Amino acid sequence: MASRQPRFNQQVLIDTTPLPDSIPKVPEIGSSSAPLLSASYFIGARCKAYNDDYMLCKTESNGKGETECLKEGRKVTRCAASVLEDVNKSCLQQFREHWECLDNNNQQLWQCRRWERPLNKCVFDNLNLEKKIPGAPTNEIPVHLRKRQIFAHSIATQ
Amino acid sequence: MFGFSGAALSKIRAMQNGGKRARHSVDQWDRQMMDRDRRLTGFLRGQTDNVLAPAGFELSNAWKVERGFT
Repeated sequence: MASRQPRFNQQVLIDTTPLPDSIPKVPEIGSSSAPLLSASYFIGARCKAYNDDYMLCKTESNGKGETECLKEGRKVTRCAASVLEDVNKSCLQQFREHWECLDNNNQQLWQCRRWERPLNKCVFDNLNLEKKIPGAPTNEIPVHLRKRQIFAHSIATQ
Repeated sequence: MFGFSGAALSKIRAMQNGGKRARHSVDQWDRQMMDRDRRLTGFLRGQTDNVLAPAGFELSNAWKVERGFT
């Protein structure tokens, strides 16, 4: 019934009924895909607890997570909005250069390391957030710190 | 010969994509994110780094409707 993705849809329905007033209103994040990808590791560094809480709630709710995990979702949204606001205030130029590069390169992080390094340094200096890749093996240099990116198109953007 | 046609094709693709290189290997996640970008900015490849979404954004996500099979 409604449990699978629609396959033959010809129409869309936009429901403009707002949420009831009993649910606190949190404004949605206004960044699109490239700035979000660029800031994602910093959002992860600051908001790890809230994100893990939300994912645990969704996993444990057995399909009812959309309605039962609204509270955790509000916390996630507020935390991510705070990270984006801080990055916008302190490192706007490096941030913009990085996500413009990502947008031009199919959202592939390894093509844009040249602009990622000043952004990481600026965010670490101003906001004390460090990018760490979760689950990376500890006996090797992480990919974002290596000098040579083996899949990048050109040397100039590594 | 190939250089000219390659350059012309990539120029056409850039014009279709708002001055950026075309996206390839787009999967469902990327399609979902590009749809979100279209709802936020009005263009499929538009990007913005505002912190808060414009008013009405949370209500603009569309349900895909299909007729039931009986």
